[in-house]
Amino acid sequence: MVNADLTSKRDADRSMDEDGAAHAPPPHPLVTILRRLAGRVVAVVTTLLGLLFLTFSMGRLLPADPVLAITGAEVSKDVYDRVYNELGLGQPISVQFLNYVRKVATGDLGTSATTGQPILTDLLTIFPATIELAIIAMIVGALVGVPLGITAAVRRGTIIDHIARIVALAGHSIPIFWTGLMALFIFYAKLKLVGASGRVDVFYEGLVTPVTGFLLIDSAIERQWDVFRSALGHIILPGAILGYYSVAYISRMSRSFMLEQLSQEYIITARAKGLGLRKVVWRHAFRNIRVQLLTIMALTFGGLLEGAVLIETVFGWPGLGQYLTRGLQMNDMNVVMGAVLTIGAVFLTINIISDVLYRILDPRTR
Amino acid sequence: MLKNLLTTITLAGALITAQPSFAASPPNMLVIGTNLTGIRTLDPAQNNARTVSELISNIYDNLVQLSPDDLKTLNPMLATKWRVSEDGKIITLTLRDDAVFQSGNPVTAEDAAWSIQRVIKMGQVGSTDIALWGFTPENVDKLVRAKDEHTLEIELPLAVNTDLVLYSLAGSSIGVIDKKTALSHEANGDLAGAWLSANSAGSGPFALAQWRPNDVAIFNAQKDYWGGAPAMARVVARHIPESGNLRLQLEAGDVDVGQYIASGDLDALSNSKDMVIESVPGLGFYYVALNQKDPDLQKPKVREAFQHAFDWKAISGNIMRYTGFPWQSMIPRGMIGAPEDAASRYDYDPAKAKKLLAEAGYPNGLKKVLNPSGAATLPFAEALQASARAAGLDLNLVPGEFTPAFRERKYEVLLGNSGARLPDPFAVATQYAYNPDNSDEARLGSYYLWRAGMKVDELNALVDQSMKERNAGKRAEIFQKMDGIYSGMDAPLVIFFQRTDPYVMRANVKGYHGHTTWSTRWHDVTKE
Repeated sequence: MVNADLTSKRDADRSMDEDGAAHAPPPHPLVTILRRLAGRVVAVVTTLLGLLFLTFSMGRLLPADPVLAITGAEVSKDVYDRVYNELGLGQPISVQFLNYVRKVATGDLGTSATTGQPILTDLLTIFPATIELAIIAMIVGALVGVPLGITAAVRRGTIIDHIARIVALAGHSIPIFWTGLMALFIFYAKLKLVGASGRVDVFYEGLVTPVTGFLLIDSAIERQWDVFRSALGHIILPGAILGYYSVAYISRMSRSFMLEQLSQEYIITARAKGLGLRKVVWRHAFRNIRVQLLTIMALTFGGLLEGAVLIETVFGWPGLGQYLTRGLQMNDMNVVMGAVLTIGAVFLTINIISDVLYRILDPRTR
Repeated sequence: MLKNLLTTITLAGALITAQPSFAASPPNMLVIGTNLTGIRTLDPAQNNARTVSELISNIYDNLVQLSPDDLKTLNPMLATKWRVSEDGKIITLTLRDDAVFQSGNPVTAEDAAWSIQRVIKMGQVGSTDIALWGFTPENVDKLVRAKDEHTLEIELPLAVNTDLVLYSLAGSSIGVIDKKTALSHEANGDLAGAWLSANSAGSGPFALAQWRPNDVAIFNAQKDYWGGAPAMARVVARHIPESGNLRLQLEAGDVDVGQYIASGDLDALSNSKDMVIESVPGLGFYYVALNQKDPDLQKPKVREAFQHAFDWKAISGNIMRYTGFPWQSMIPRGMIGAPEDAASRYDYDPAKAKKLLAEAGYPNGLKKVLNPSGAATLPFAEALQASARAAGLDLNLVPGEFTPAFRERKYEVLLGNSGARLPDPFAVATQYAYNPDNSDEARLGSYYLWRAGMKVDELNALVDQSMKERNAGKRAEIFQKMDGIYSGMDAPLVIFFQRTDPYVMRANVKGYHGHTTWSTRWHDVTKE
């Protein structure tokens, strides 16, 4: 009887195990991460679809004509009608949208009315320019923002704290357009320290074969140091200004993270034991806010891609921001949708990466 | 950390300052700061705007050319001479024998014939002017033909003034293309349209070296050019959309010629002895269009009131200082049949406008929506709005891009500007006075008078006549008559300024002359 009971219980256990319920062991952490990742991917696709729908609707609501972007305003009826039909503008909007989504799914973002090239080709040419600019800006933002924020927290209420606050406030309130022009006036026109428009001086145009698309790297690979210097001279100013606008955010966040740590008991204990302030801050407190800072940086990086819109116009920087602005000006909706989709996709990817890194680096969040 | 930061900054600083100088373009290189927005192709047949016309004009030679300071006299280019048959139906052009394309192929009449046939067959924007003379994809192969290697014959399907046809041959869209090279790159029967959008196959003084849409276009000089090697070894057209930035680069000497500069920056640059500001007279106007589908605006007294409701003189010295001069005739100044002086036909007279409105049945004034055609005309529209209020016109200004609405006749009052490439009043008359069918279904969006919703048979007949008439004196009479009818009928297109296109040059640049038909050539440019 007992044996029979035991057997039946074992059977029951086995059957339950086979169903994968009740007594299943906790899944491997990697599985959890993968599951979350899958969930995020679904969310990303939905978000991107929503984004597509929004930009598409906006393009159709604007009182502008994509045909004229191609033909110019003084075009005859025949040419106008032909281009109108070629663009498929006579079809119902729902059909146009579905066609667009179908194409995007196969990697075809359409052709730009204003450059005549496939959007994907355009994006592959210009996106590295924006990424390069954003990386420089990120480096500036991190190198200045983090120490500034932490110092402000440690020396709370002192003059340094006030300065940090003013820096942050200015970064939020002064238009980037104005700062860009002023900086050009001082560092380019007056001091002649940096270059003005574009990624490199005109006489160095076309000397370097694009491999990575990052001019600084490509010119270094080819050991064309003149071009490298010129490229550095051109990127430093827009990079620094764009970086400054991220300093505002990064320093504010670093300050508040650090303040939170400094009020923790372990810090008070460490200080009471006689550990020096510098060691307490950098060895203990900083270690605990690294992960949070990483997330902030990742989000800021996504923001920098967006923020590049104005700075790219001021500095004639041939990147995504300028591409998007021109697309809007010329009512080149394929460009607008392609660029917005790219920014959206990059933003979401960064989000996912930072999320995953967060979980890997900080065991408490698993 | 701080130490690292300082090291990085010092390193970056050292690298930058190691560069001798960031200023000044080299003496044998011309740098043009411009706006390359919207240039989707460098194929002459698809040429759709002003800036691209200039670029194309330096890659491709035309059969004939017009000098920037004399738009009436045709000069030789690839054609050394031309002859018109007695009946005015056949133009025979003799081509020079020393011209070669950048591929090394000689320029032949076959290339010239194919280039014209191609423009017509492609039917893109570039065909707009030449298609006027009756060429179609069906008849062009037969009518435009190479008689031998250096003789091109053009037979006209319609009886038209052959000067007009020759003028259109001087246009940048009719640049002669290397047929053999182009066809070797043809894809899916596109007549090499895709390849020519980013490559060059011309016999001009410059060849395209690099083209990045909306960024930069680089041209290298052709040392073996039949007209002699150009002084500039390289010309770079760079996209600099921000006017303030462009101004700084002009001042620093990085840029030699600046186009599309905002009036505030032009004002500042005009004080510098290192700069020369020039304005090219354009074949077009700034006008106020009154939609005749609107019952209020149909009344002649209302249209007349609009002529006196705007204080245009007040803005001619500032907003319009570089972009237009007062002109109130539909025949552009300096053209055949143009009036001696049409600079102040309509004075600003708010009392008179008010009275006219009252007589038309609006004693309490009139309310309308005013749209600028685009951002460029917004400051003008803002200035007009204020002065119109005193005349009893309450104009609600709605900014945006309204050219499409104008083409569809879906507006009330619109402020716009126009341009034309054919240097003859006929081109302007076609826009402003021609409308063969006023029905909505006709959708004749390229005719402004259709856009304004008015059809005048007498004007249509005169425009047709001006196309056919070969006698210069009689043509002048036709245009004078047209101008008389137009100003007497209180036209729905109220013209205020003739358009000019300003550009800035550094004073050491010589030989750069902006061209009214947008085909500015760089061959004779030097830097002192």
